[in-house]
Amino acid sequence: MRYAAGWRSRVALGIPAGLALLLLVVPLVALMLRADWARVPSDLATPTVLPALRLSLTTTSITAALCLLLGTPLAWFLARSDHRATSWVRALLTVPLVLPPVVGGVALLMTWGRTGLVGQHLTPFGIQIPFTTVAVVLAETFVAMPYYVLAVEGAMRGLDPRLEAVARTLGATDLRYLRTVGIPLVLPGIASGLALAWARALGEFGATITFAGNFQGRTQTLPLLVYVELERDPQVAISISIMLLAVSVLVLGVLRGRWLR
Amino acid sequence: MSAPRSHADGLDARVRLSRGTMDLDVPLTAEPGQVIGVLGPNGGGKTTTVLALAGVLALEEGHVRVGGDVWDDGRRRLAPERRRVGLMLADSLLFPHLRAVDNVAYGPRSRGVDHHRARERAHLELERVGLADRAASRPRELSSGQQARVALARALATDPALLLLDEPLAALDPDTRARTRSDLAARLTAYDGVTVIVTHDPLDALTLADHLVFVEDGRVTQSGTPAEVLSEPRSAYVGTVVGLNLYAGQGDSHGHVTTVKGGVVVTTSPTEGSVWATVPPSAVSLHLHEPEGSPRNAWRLRIASVTMQGQSARVGLVGELPLTAEVTLESVTALGLQVGQEVWAAVKATEVRTYPR
Repeated sequence: MRYAAGWRSRVALGIPAGLALLLLVVPLVALMLRADWARVPSDLATPTVLPALRLSLTTTSITAALCLLLGTPLAWFLARSDHRATSWVRALLTVPLVLPPVVGGVALLMTWGRTGLVGQHLTPFGIQIPFTTVAVVLAETFVAMPYYVLAVEGAMRGLDPRLEAVARTLGATDLRYLRTVGIPLVLPGIASGLALAWARALGEFGATITFAGNFQGRTQTLPLLVYVELERDPQVAISISIMLLAVSVLVLGVLRGRWLR
Repeated sequence: MSAPRSHADGLDARVRLSRGTMDLDVPLTAEPGQVIGVLGPNGGGKTTTVLALAGVLALEEGHVRVGGDVWDDGRRRLAPERRRVGLMLADSLLFPHLRAVDNVAYGPRSRGVDHHRARERAHLELERVGLADRAASRPRELSSGQQARVALARALATDPALLLLDEPLAALDPDTRARTRSDLAARLTAYDGVTVIVTHDPLDALTLADHLVFVEDGRVTQSGTPAEVLSEPRSAYVGTVVGLNLYAGQGDSHGHVTTVKGGVVVTTSPTEGSVWATVPPSAVSLHLHEPEGSPRNAWRLRIASVTMQGQSARVGLVGELPLTAEVTLESVTALGLQVGQEVWAAVKATEVRTYPR
């Protein structure tokens, strides 16, 4: 009887579990089945794809650099502070993680638009941000930065605070400690944070199309091009998708193999 | 050899601060070359004292003066990196990404010594702890004992005037601990600054320190040379550490000591007034029947615990006078001692020592 009950519960749980797995896996399989593998290389070399590829690579690289330069110090402050305000800042940081990207795009327009909070002060100087490549970078940074900061802060919190105490007694100032011990020890965290942020930026669609538009060579990144090509030439859309899927798997593999435990 | 040294050249500190529920007030003085052993139960304030001396924590009141320099006067605190201090903690806390030699050179480098001379010094310090051949090893390639020795070399490479060792041997297994303890003792003999070593291991304290300070609940409960402390413990904790049965009580001229819990101990060396009385566990004999003859102390007590230590057993007894007896394994089996059983414990009056409280 007990065996029968085990068997039953296995079926009762196995069916929904299998369904969940299928819901995730079948689309990926379908994408690969529908791909015309022989055409993939030539599809990726068309005059519409190349500019989008170049734009995606440039903007995501700049985004990653911004995360590194601005996000690392922010992560450091968050990691070493026990102040009540810190948990509020951390909560604020997670908002872009769960916010619908299109809402992010609207928020960015309200900030940098012609009459926006910041944008209205730029207009007199002839500086226009929306619908430019700069806007693409801002949109990608908006969605990617939280991933980076939270990953690096986690790594920094993992450091034994007594290491810093010892370094200080040895004569190291705050900055020397950070340069010679703190940062080198969180390099794996920085690397995985960068990979996560970069992958998120590469896939960014909603905020970009809302805030930066869809102009070939200027704001049309790969995800936007996929959306356009699906109407025009689905096979090209599939080929680009295959490439993006490959890149995602690659990033995941790098994270898994070296930094994710 | 050299001019007489005083506390002015060494350590003169009074550490006053509160942290959480603990209110700490610990005076510490030492001459150069002295090794102060700080003992006490966990949470009593030992580590906090060390961190305040290092400058990681600020004093609220009091002072820290080392070698004539003011490190903290309760108002202004010199940052740790500006103190001539060395710190070594239980986990050796080596920088895991640096080789042994670079760990040791880290201090001199941070204090502005050029790369070449810092490395030379690091090699010298590694040699002094017997690790000249492991200079190129990363911390994870070293045994725990070797890591501890590298940490010691690193702490000493900056010529600190004050060396702070917080449970330096606690993380080591017993074999390694014994060997590292003697390495540490050898290295400390050659060091001419003040050493403060925090430990809860009496053996560490007795073999390494020449002066002991007991800190309990933020206060110093006893201080003195190891010999003084061993013969005249002055708190229940110190009694446990030195392995004596210790009772606070009132003594009369006839040699009767009435303990605060009501038990009576008889001694041949009476002290009048408030006294401490000690009974060595090895002086306690156990009997199934009331003993006859010479012993003037005999109590009927219940066995609460029996633990073995090598060829002897420690028997914890409770009743009118809580007592620990150390007896041979043979007598445990001969008497058939069992937890819960009632036995007679006898102690000769000549074995009971008393001294003013």
